[in-house]
Amino acid sequence: MELEKALSQDESKGGVLAHLEKLETQVNRSRKKLEEPQGAQAVESSLGTKIRDKLRSEVKQRQARVAVRDTSVEPDQTLEISEQKAWERKRENVKAILQAYRFTGLSGKLTSRGVCVCIHTAFEGTLLDSYFVDLVIQKPLRIHHHSIPAFIPLEEISAKYLQTNIQHFLFSLCEYLNAYAGRKYQADQLQRDFAAFLAGPLQRNSLCNVLSFTYKVELRGQAFTFCARLLYKDLTVTLPTDVTVTHQGMDTLPTSWEEQRASHENLFCTKALHKVFASFTQREKLDMSLVH
Amino acid sequence: MTKMMTVLKAWEFLSENQLQTVSFRKRKESLAQDLVLLCEENGVSLNDAALLDIIYTQFHWHQRVWDVFQMAKEPGEDIDLSDMEQFKSSFKKILQRALKNVTVTFRDAEENAVWIRIAWGTQYRKRNQYKPAYVMYYSQTPYAFISFSQLRSNTPLLCQALTIASKHHQIVKMDLRSRYLDSLKAIVFKQYNQNFETHNSATPLQERRLGLDINMDSRIIHENRIEKDRVQRVTQDIFGDYSQPRLEFAQYKLEIKFKSDLNGGILAEREEPLRCLVKFSSPHLLEALKSLAPAGIADAPLSPLLTCIPSKGMNYFKIKHK
Repeated sequence: MELEKALSQDESKGGVLAHLEKLETQVNRSRKKLEEPQGAQAVESSLGTKIRDKLRSEVKQRQARVAVRDTSVEPDQTLEISEQKAWERKRENVKAILQAYRFTGLSGKLTSRGVCVCIHTAFEGTLLDSYFVDLVIQKPLRIHHHSIPAFIPLEEISAKYLQTNIQHFLFSLCEYLNAYAGRKYQADQLQRDFAAFLAGPLQRNSLCNVLSFTYKVELRGQAFTFCARLLYKDLTVTLPTDVTVTHQGMDTLPTSWEEQRASHENLFCTKALHKVFASFTQREKLDMSLVH
Repeated sequence: MTKMMTVLKAWEFLSENQLQTVSFRKRKESLAQDLVLLCEENGVSLNDAALLDIIYTQFHWHQRVWDVFQMAKEPGEDIDLSDMEQFKSSFKKILQRALKNVTVTFRDAEENAVWIRIAWGTQYRKRNQYKPAYVMYYSQTPYAFISFSQLRSNTPLLCQALTIASKHHQIVKMDLRSRYLDSLKAIVFKQYNQNFETHNSATPLQERRLGLDINMDSRIIHENRIEKDRVQRVTQDIFGDYSQPRLEFAQYKLEIKFKSDLNGGILAEREEPLRCLVKFSSPHLLEALKSLAPAGIADAPLSPLLTCIPSKGMNYFKIKHK
C-alpha cells in the first residue's frame, strides 16, 4: 500500500523521483556483489519503513524550502550556498537510500499503465537471479506480465494478497523467490564444487525442495557411503525441514559411524548444503595432516 | 543431413567411429540400411529406438501440433514433495496397470522438464510404434504439452496418468493449439518478454521518432502525423515492444444473432442464432495483428477478441449471444 502511494504521487514530487531514477541507473551499473549479508525479514521491513520515512521527510523539506523561498523578500546569498551544501548532503542520503533499496531486493519502475517491480534475489551475500512483475493499476489490480518461474505459486499469492495488500504481496513473493534461489544455489554449488563426494547424480525437482543424493565420506582410513534425502516442506526456507541419512551397504554400521550418520543429519538441518560439504573437506584435510 | 547427424550424436548409441563410416550423401534407402546394420551390431533394443524417436521429436517439434492441458490442485493442499523419479515411475505404473500393452519412454530435458513417449496398443492389437503420443512436462507446474499422432481415444487415460502422477486433482484441455511448442510455453508461462531492461525502455515514443526524422529529408512532410502517433502508441501499449510468440491461427466459432442498423430485414427477424466460423491464419499471427493498425488496414485499438490471445492463452474462441 505504501509503496503504491509513494510511487503514484509523482505529479507533486516530479523532480525527486526523476532524480531517484537517474541515481538508480547509476547504482545498477556499480558492482554486483553485496558487501553485507542479506538481513532477516524484520530488518528488511524496518529498512523499508526507514526508506519511506526518509523519502517523505525529503519531500517535506523540499516543499518547506520552496515555501521559504517564496515568502522571503530578498534572495539571501549565504542561504543559497548553504542550501547547495544541504542539497549535496541530501543527494548522498538518497544515493544511500537507493543502495539500501537494492539491499532489500526490491526496485521499481513506473510504466504507462502501472508499475514494474523487479525482485533481486540473493543468498548469503551472493547476488542471484532477478525476476520482474509488471502490474497494471486498474480495478482490479492485475499482473500483465512476469518472469516468475511457473512452479512458484504466484496465483496463490496473488489470490491472497494482490487486491488487498500490495506490499504483503511483494514481500511474500520475495520470500518465495529468495528461498527458491537459495535452495537452487546450494544444490548448484554441491554439484559444481563437491562432485567428488557424490557417488551418483544429485536428484532434484523444479522447486529444489526435494534433494536426494548418495555421498561417500572417508575418515581415518575407512570409507562409508551414505544416502541423504532432504525435504523442504516450507517453500519459504533455505534449510531443510526433514533430513534422512541412511547407510548404503550390506554391512552394519559401527557405532562410531552411526554417530557420524546422526551428526550428518543434524548438520544438513542446520547448515547450508555446500557449507556442510566444505566442512567435510576441511575435516578430511585435518585428518590427513594428523596421520602424516 | 547435418541435422540427422546432430540427432544421431545426441542419441549416443552409435560411436563416433561408427558414425564416421556412414556416408550421408547416399540415397535414403541405402543410408537407412547402413544405419540399421550399425544399430544391430550394437544390439539395439526397443527402448533405444524409442529414445531415438524422442530425440528426433525434440529437434523437430514444429512437425507436430501441440495441445496444452492445464491441471489444478485442491485449494489448501500440501506442498508437492515429489521428485522427477517418483513422477516417472508413478506415470508409468498407472498406464501399465490400465493398458498392459503400452510402451512408455522418458527423456530428461533442461530446466526440470521431461519428454514422454507413449506407444499405444490394446488387448488384441500390438503396440503401434508409428503413432505414438508425446508429452512435454515441466515438473511441479500445472501445464502439460501433448501431441497425438492419431485418434485421441487414449486422451482420458493419458490425462488421468499425468494428473495423478503430478499430484494434481483435475485436468482441463485449454483452447490453445499450435505447432510452435516454444511459443505455447512462452504464452502459458507468461514469459514472452524476459528482458527487464528493454521492457518499457526509457526513451519515450517522441524521442525515438525524432531520431528517425533527423535522417529524413526536411522537404518530406508526414500527413496526419497526430493520428499516426496515436496509432503507434496504442499498438505499443497493447502489444509491447518485444517480439510476439508465434501462432499460426486463431479460430472464432460464432453463434450470434444478426444485428442490423436498418429496421426489419429477413436476417434480423430470424429467431435462431447464426452459426459461422471465422479463422485467421498467418505464418506469424500475432506479429501480423500487431502490424494491422500501423499499416492502416484496421482501426486502433484492435478488437479485444484479437488482442487477448496471448494474455488469455486461447486461440480457439466460442462466442455466443448473451
